[in-house]
Amino acid sequence: MNSATWYGLLGATLAGIGLYGLIVHPHVLRKILSFNLLGSGVFLIAGVVARRGADAGLPGDPVLQGLVITGIIVAFSATALAVALLLRLAETANTASLSPGALEGRAGDAPLPADGSDPGVARRREGS
Amino acid sequence: MQDVTTPGGHWLVLALMVPVAGLLLAVLFGGRHAERIALAALPLGAIAALAIVMQMLSSGAALVYCLGNWAPPLGIVLRADGLSVAMMVTTVVVLTAIALFARIDFATPRGAREARAPFVFWVMLLGVWAALLVVFLAGDFFTLYVALELVAFAAVPLVSLDGRAETLQAALRYLLYALAGSVLYLVGTVLIYGGYGTLDIALLADRLRAEPVAIVAVALMTAGLLAKTALFPLHLWLPPAHAGAPAAASALLSGLVIKGSFFLVIRLWLDAFGSVMTPAAAQLLAALGAGAIVVGSVVALQQARLKLMVAYSTVAQIGYLFLMFPLVLGAASAGAAAAALAGGLLQAISHATAKAAMFMAAGLVYAALGHDRVADLRGAARALPLTIAAFALSGIALIGLPPAGGFLAKWLLLSSALESAQWWWVVVIALGGLLTAAYVFLVLSKALTTTAEPVVITPVPRSSEVIVLALAIVSALLGVAALAPLDLVLIGRDEVMSGAR
Amino acid sequence: MTTSNALLVGTLALPLVLLAACLWSAARDRMLPWLVVAPLPALLAALGVDRGTTVTLIAAGSYEGVLALDAPGALLLGVAALLWSAAGAYAATYQRDLPNRGRFAASWLLCLTGCLGVFVAADMALLYLTLASMTLGASALVFQDESAGARRAAGIYLGLALAGETLVLVAMILLAQATPEGSLLIRDAALVLPSAAHRDLIVVLLIVGFGLKAGLVPLHVWMPLAHAAAPMPASAVLSGVVVKAGVIGLIRFLPVDAGLADWGNLLAIVGMFTALYAVAIGITQPHPKVVLAYSSVSQMGFTAAVIGMGIANLEAATPVLAAFYATHHILVKGAMFLLVGIVAATAGTRLRGTLLLAAVLAVGLGGLPLTGGAVAKLAVKGPLGSGWAATVAYASAVGTTLLMLHFLRRVAANSAAEPSARAAAGLRWPWLVMAVAAIVVPWAIYLGLSLGTVAEAIAPKALWASLWPVGVGAALAWWLARAGDRLPRIPPGDVAVGIDRGVAAGARAGVALLRADGVLRQWSVAGVSLLTLAALFVLAIMAGH
Repeated sequence: MNSATWYGLLGATLAGIGLYGLIVHPHVLRKILSFNLLGSGVFLIAGVVARRGADAGLPGDPVLQGLVITGIIVAFSATALAVALLLRLAETANTASLSPGALEGRAGDAPLPADGSDPGVARRREGS
Repeated sequence: MQDVTTPGGHWLVLALMVPVAGLLLAVLFGGRHAERIALAALPLGAIAALAIVMQMLSSGAALVYCLGNWAPPLGIVLRADGLSVAMMVTTVVVLTAIALFARIDFATPRGAREARAPFVFWVMLLGVWAALLVVFLAGDFFTLYVALELVAFAAVPLVSLDGRAETLQAALRYLLYALAGSVLYLVGTVLIYGGYGTLDIALLADRLRAEPVAIVAVALMTAGLLAKTALFPLHLWLPPAHAGAPAAASALLSGLVIKGSFFLVIRLWLDAFGSVMTPAAAQLLAALGAGAIVVGSVVALQQARLKLMVAYSTVAQIGYLFLMFPLVLGAASAGAAAAALAGGLLQAISHATAKAAMFMAAGLVYAALGHDRVADLRGAARALPLTIAAFALSGIALIGLPPAGGFLAKWLLLSSALESAQWWWVVVIALGGLLTAAYVFLVLSKALTTTAEPVVITPVPRSSEVIVLALAIVSALLGVAALAPLDLVLIGRDEVMSGAR
Repeated sequence: MTTSNALLVGTLALPLVLLAACLWSAARDRMLPWLVVAPLPALLAALGVDRGTTVTLIAAGSYEGVLALDAPGALLLGVAALLWSAAGAYAATYQRDLPNRGRFAASWLLCLTGCLGVFVAADMALLYLTLASMTLGASALVFQDESAGARRAAGIYLGLALAGETLVLVAMILLAQATPEGSLLIRDAALVLPSAAHRDLIVVLLIVGFGLKAGLVPLHVWMPLAHAAAPMPASAVLSGVVVKAGVIGLIRFLPVDAGLADWGNLLAIVGMFTALYAVAIGITQPHPKVVLAYSSVSQMGFTAAVIGMGIANLEAATPVLAAFYATHHILVKGAMFLLVGIVAATAGTRLRGTLLLAAVLAVGLGGLPLTGGAVAKLAVKGPLGSGWAATVAYASAVGTTLLMLHFLRRVAANSAAEPSARAAAGLRWPWLVMAVAAIVVPWAIYLGLSLGTVAEAIAPKALWASLWPVGVGAALAWWLARAGDRLPRIPPGDVAVGIDRGVAAGARAGVALLRADGVLRQWSVAGVSLLTLAALFVLAIMAGH
């Protein structure tokens, strides 16, 4: 097996670990990290594809290198957005879980009106 | 055949530039200027869309623009065919209504230079618009990947605009699930490039064969797109996200954002992979759609809150959109395939307008009554006649009664199903209409009940009610408007359609 | 634009203009007195439009919306317009003090537009549009007093009507695929039906779909519920005219052709069964409006049987004759419903004349000699032929007489207690107009359209043939009055208990689906579903290659 195949298997393993973490772990930060692992695995696979499809004389197909760079930027922005939302969630509800059960009985936030009314409306009424 | 920039192709770039320039200017100037820039950009975008329509009708062919004058496979193209143009026009119309409606909810307060929620809303509105335009116009799968991500990133903040913990969770859930989907999509594109050396849709239509690499690629890409479109059973993020967002944002999310990834599935299945797709795969996709219709409608019937009911109605209506695939791929003649395609597109357009109107009406009910419990809607019709009328009209469009676009779409889909002898989809479509009627009747019968004393409400601005009613009337009369330009859908699709057989 | 064209367009234009005016609440609250005027262009159109006039209403792309008036349509349109007008005048007084009268007027106008439109629509898309409008308007009318019973009745009616219309839609699409050049005209569809590829399926869909609208058993369940819940004038038009949409559908779509003879026989069997079944249930009902509802079911069954036997016997005049029979029913049933309101507002001692007139009309439905009913029954002897159907027709006449006399007994028991009570003039003169019309108009049509001669109508054989069933029916009614308490109590809508059980089962299934949805929306389950779906797609695509 040549190095491209090894890298391919490595990429697949990383992607597998990332997928597993994304599906199984309840903590949002771990999900974000797993997503990054998954992304890294996919980029490695892209690199392998670039290597196998390269023309003679070029180390790797430049189009795929461009794809990987764009992918890294997208993953980076996605991670930044997700972390920002997570920080806000932790600030607001002192939890880092996606399950609705984690929001019950929390302190520090105005309780959700029991009659189902929209707090956003109340806030706007107060603010204007 | 090499792609060249067609006359009028520059309109595609101009159409894209409007929301992008608006977005940049809005971030630059900030504050209350964001709203003004968005409102100024919409008419310009409408002009560009109309110019593209007229150009296409006069030339009768798709518009193409090669970026940098490089033709594929070296360069990338923007390509506008009948489908793109129809979706572009729909986007501008719905966005105009949403923008006019949101002027009151998302106005920057007097005395403040900038407020978080309004600023984010207007910037994200422009962002969603720009991203959707790229989705509709891009001609290769990687640009479409970037566009998909842009749509997601612009849509996620809209979910958690009010900053509550529930909506933050919903936004995170949406973001993470959408990211999982886009990773699968990315793997698919990498595989396609590895196997066929290009990502341009028109070139791929000739090169793709039913080989393992293509099959795995399309399966992964489809699964990823279905996760972003929230097709049953991948719909976990949609109800809390769409129900938790403010009314204007829900209208945007349900009406337009969903249609982006759906449009991509059309491009994937019908344009690029038409020769690879099998009847079994199409039936599987539509079976998921049927599941969405049944489960979504039945769960909608049991919701206690109006906004959750409308969100589950979206889950059900998304299922309708996917019924067109076995009908197009299994059609006996090109004419029948075209009819099925037109039906699916019309269903998407009808849902976009009707669901946006319905969410905005639900938002007005919320704002006026202070709650949206379905059981306590008695007296709403007397207090908010225009709003309830708008809800009723959009309900009629969703059920599929004439003269709404939904009826014409139902007719086209039923004709193709009957012509290709796929009787079971006839049953599904009929059942879907009845289930939709059930929950619309549930809400309307409560709202139309009179109470002894008038219900106490916070007055909502008359203009908001009028805007919502206008959009609802558009959706209820769409069938009449759509009778003539059905041929528009087919412009630019002949080579693709014949290549797929 | 010729007069004929203008009248045809005006049939729909005037009600639509009034309906549009209902958008303003001030106009809506004052709309009640205008209800009497709305159907007048339709009445003039029925009298004055030349047969064969067509008007193209909309032309967009390849679609043309066409209005036309054929002979059966003209008959039904004219009489329907008369009933709508009289009932509208009645409603102006009856609903005068209602807080919701604006909404009542808007629903009334919506139903009216749809109903008149059904009779003049010549292409299938326009027919579907008018059927849908009629259904929406009618369910709003049934819902009018917002009680729990009204909600249930409106929901059942809406659900069944939409289901029926969906079946008709599928049949229309199949017909549109069979017609030359995909023409949507009903006329072309009927011509191509006997030789269409899916003929049997289309006929079943049409019979079930239009049968639902007309109230054939077992699809009649919505009728008694809707009539019990709707206000008096609304019941009058519901029973009188809205069900005739089913009849006109059957008449227009099913041509008299040898290819459909078997289906004609089947339709006749279903119709006659309906006619007798509804009588059996109707005599157990205490509420006069419900009795009338069952009588309508019975008469619609009879009309359907006439159509069916006419097709089986290849009687060319079936469309006009069946429509003629239906027009008599419209007039009598409309008058009877208006009567119920009048009796409830009048003291028993003042009712003698009214009840006598009502008795003549009611028994006329069973075929009392020299009334319009006798003429109607004489006219349909042709399509019914001389076989089993003619025999069962006599039984039906006996049953109808029995049922209508039972109705008269029940309605007389409902008179006002106060000895000086008298119904308002605004209620009485529409009733008188309908009552007189019920006697005069059938004779006018019979003679005017040359469906027969006076000599035939008063021949001793014909008189005896209509008299003896009435006599037997009257005897049975007398027996019923003595022994009525021993009949079982059947809830209105009889088979509707099945619907309630079905709804309960549906609710249980709904809860199960809700729980399943909850499971599917857990993150781990959704994540695994995503991957599973990708694998399934790989398998599905590979399976085809």
